[in-house]
Amino acid sequence: MDTMAAIKQTFFQECEEQLAEMEDGLMMIEREEGDLETINAVFRAVHSIKGGAGAFGLDDLVRFAHTFETTLDGMRSGKLEITPQIVKLMLRSADILADLVRISRDGGEMDETRVSQMADELSRASGAAPAPAPAPQAALEPVVAFGDGQVDEFGFAPTPVAFDFGGDTAANEPETDEFGFAPVKIDFDNMLADDGAAGNLKGFEIAFAPRAELYAKANDPLRLLRELGRLGDMKVACDASQVPLLGEIDPEGAYLTWKISLETEADERSVREIFEFVEFDCDLSVRPVREGMDEATAEDTVKAVLAQVTAQAAVEVVAAPAIAPVVFAELAAAPSPAPVEAVAPVAPAKAPASANTQAAPQQAGQQPGATIRVDLDRVDRLIDLVGELVINQSMLAQRVTEAGIARLSDVAVGLDDLEHLTREIQDSVMAIRAQPVRPIFQRMARVVREVADMTGKSVRLVTEGENCEVDKTVIERLADPLTHMIRNAIDHGLEKPEDRVAAGKPEQGVVRMIAAHRSGRVVIEVSDDGAGINRAKVREIAVKKGIIDADAQLTDAEIDDLIFAPGFSTAATISDVSGRGVGMDVVRRSIQALGGRITISSRPGHGTTFSLSLPLTLAVLDGMVVTVAGQTLVVPLSAIVETLQPKAADVHGLGEKARVIAIRGSFIPLVDVGSVLSYREDEADPLQSVAVMVETENQTQCALMVDGIIGQQQVVIKSLETNYGHVFGVAAATILGDGRVAVILDVDAIVAGSRQDAARAEANRKRSAA
Amino acid sequence: MGKPATGSMTLPDELDIKAAGPLAAELIAARGKDLTLDASQVERVGGQCLQVLLSAAATWGADGAELTIEEPSAAFADAIRIAGLDLTQFTARSA
Repeated sequence: MDTMAAIKQTFFQECEEQLAEMEDGLMMIEREEGDLETINAVFRAVHSIKGGAGAFGLDDLVRFAHTFETTLDGMRSGKLEITPQIVKLMLRSADILADLVRISRDGGEMDETRVSQMADELSRASGAAPAPAPAPQAALEPVVAFGDGQVDEFGFAPTPVAFDFGGDTAANEPETDEFGFAPVKIDFDNMLADDGAAGNLKGFEIAFAPRAELYAKANDPLRLLRELGRLGDMKVACDASQVPLLGEIDPEGAYLTWKISLETEADERSVREIFEFVEFDCDLSVRPVREGMDEATAEDTVKAVLAQVTAQAAVEVVAAPAIAPVVFAELAAAPSPAPVEAVAPVAPAKAPASANTQAAPQQAGQQPGATIRVDLDRVDRLIDLVGELVINQSMLAQRVTEAGIARLSDVAVGLDDLEHLTREIQDSVMAIRAQPVRPIFQRMARVVREVADMTGKSVRLVTEGENCEVDKTVIERLADPLTHMIRNAIDHGLEKPEDRVAAGKPEQGVVRMIAAHRSGRVVIEVSDDGAGINRAKVREIAVKKGIIDADAQLTDAEIDDLIFAPGFSTAATISDVSGRGVGMDVVRRSIQALGGRITISSRPGHGTTFSLSLPLTLAVLDGMVVTVAGQTLVVPLSAIVETLQPKAADVHGLGEKARVIAIRGSFIPLVDVGSVLSYREDEADPLQSVAVMVETENQTQCALMVDGIIGQQQVVIKSLETNYGHVFGVAAATILGDGRVAVILDVDAIVAGSRQDAARAEANRKRSAA
Repeated sequence: MGKPATGSMTLPDELDIKAAGPLAAELIAARGKDLTLDASQVERVGGQCLQVLLSAAATWGADGAELTIEEPSAAFADAIRIAGLDLTQFTARSA
């Protein structure tokens, strides 16, 4: 891979992390758990994506990220009130940003209209966001206050405004010393822009004060000015008054500041775009100038004065270069009629706190640098090798046993230690592949939003156990089934808002996603608080579609289970959302392919719950090694309930072929594995067999008849599909200690197969009798 | 009072961020006499070198010495214009 491609790949990996962080932050804000630092984190994430995208010339991405960022900036500065609608808009924008990132990476077509619509919506939100009425007034005072010390003459209720304070008190007015900081910049530009609809846009007044960092990052104000000049007619006034004499000058400092009047037809965005990559390294204000501005109202005059003060303040920072800016937005959070009293005690206390949050942006997160990126192929190779080690170790153990070496000999004891070690290595390697389910849950959050939008239902997603870890492959392959289940839950599960209200439920439906570890498996539940399964309707449809007989006697659980039947679709009208030709049968099949099970439970009026039970890994399995007709087979231990030797009195015939076994008062079907898998023609004799009681994914029990049990063993799973092809009744294969290949049984398929056999036999009997 | 000695200096073609430090050092070394800066070779100018040159003009002015810029190249003149400055701001007359 050439260097550029490698850098780009790293960029996209980082993008994924930024996207996750962004989504996390937005979700926190949605749950009203976020604070200013959360918004900052989201902003930083979007900004980093934009920066990287700019470097790679991904213009679409840059453009959208920029618009998104502008709106986030509004949230950050408190100009844009954080309402549920705004958060929703942010989340949807986050989805688009994620799409743009992925399309930039993988190629493909982005729906341009979707992007531009969302960008418009964002611009509207940030541009047209009504500033709280008293804001300009309130915002004005602190400037006057810090500049002239006249605070006490004004009684006002402050609203949050973003202040940048430089830390070098020596360079500032004496009045400010007691606060320990000096005012540097107050950014009123957008606020002034908001209500400037008085006339047509003529151009902009721009105040631009670079900091030393701007030069240090190889940017130059002259280049920016030149670019600005291309937008229209420009008058530049340079303030050189802060340039010191040669004896005191830092040649790499920043002393010059500019005021630019630009007459242009370009919009504010294009102006700001020029400063895009330097915006954190300079003080910038862009103020639109509109026609008719000359007959300014009293308020406008105030603003003009204000702008001047702002510009002066901006100049002051130049005198003290290399000051780390401290963002100080909560300053005015404590409203008080006598602001000087409120400001004075708050300020010194807050300043270090703010500095801290800047220094430690990842509060509760992991330590940076504590992780490494490793190519997945390498991990997979390691896992393969460990698998071989496990096989090799069991082969060795078998050889030792065959050689007749005593169990207490040094060799055997050493072998036991080796076994422990092998198992530990295996667990550790598996842990490398284990990933929290969080990313997939986050993706589902997006599905919820989209489906909720499409169906017009109001839905809240509640997630639990996002940190639950599962094998990466399992996680990847969970996306589609989960998406489908979530769609179903919202589309079919939740009632329409009016129906919910009529049923005395809150209008907003709740979809829950819970992940948890239970006895060596991971269980994921997707539940809704909707109407529950309409069993009468399900039954009716199943009869109509010929899935069941009209006179079939079914339990509630069996009716619920019909949803998984192939070709079943409950929605009266096939909707845009769920009716994509994929039914729950596909979901069940893909979960089974993962070695998992899916079950359903439903309470009328209270909702439906789907539970997925999945193995933690797809690489190893605890199995029971059995023999059937001379073949060695492995039954997954997770499916086994118990084993027993059938007694003649307990075995009963049922119909022509089927037999059941009576266990503790209930009858359980006996399944002859040998005949289902066509290993032998003759029926096995139950009395000569061992019955392995298994539980299938729909929690029905069956007894598998096998010839004998060899023992329990951890086996390494080798996919049959990858190496050979799918075989009925077989989930995968493995290599045993003696080097032979053994198949791992697909218990559900075997049980289902035996039922079909029995049904066919029954049908034949009926036909021959007729 | 006799006229101080006159020196001259040719500005390098690249007046970017890397040039700002050396330029300041050279100018400091040239202090105490009238100075002519030959700007004919200048091809690129950055903001920081402009700062140093402005500082020099102010310093020369404060010292009561003369600082002149000779034959400004098109690039140099253009940079000054773009920055919203004036060539006179880069010169100092003797007191």
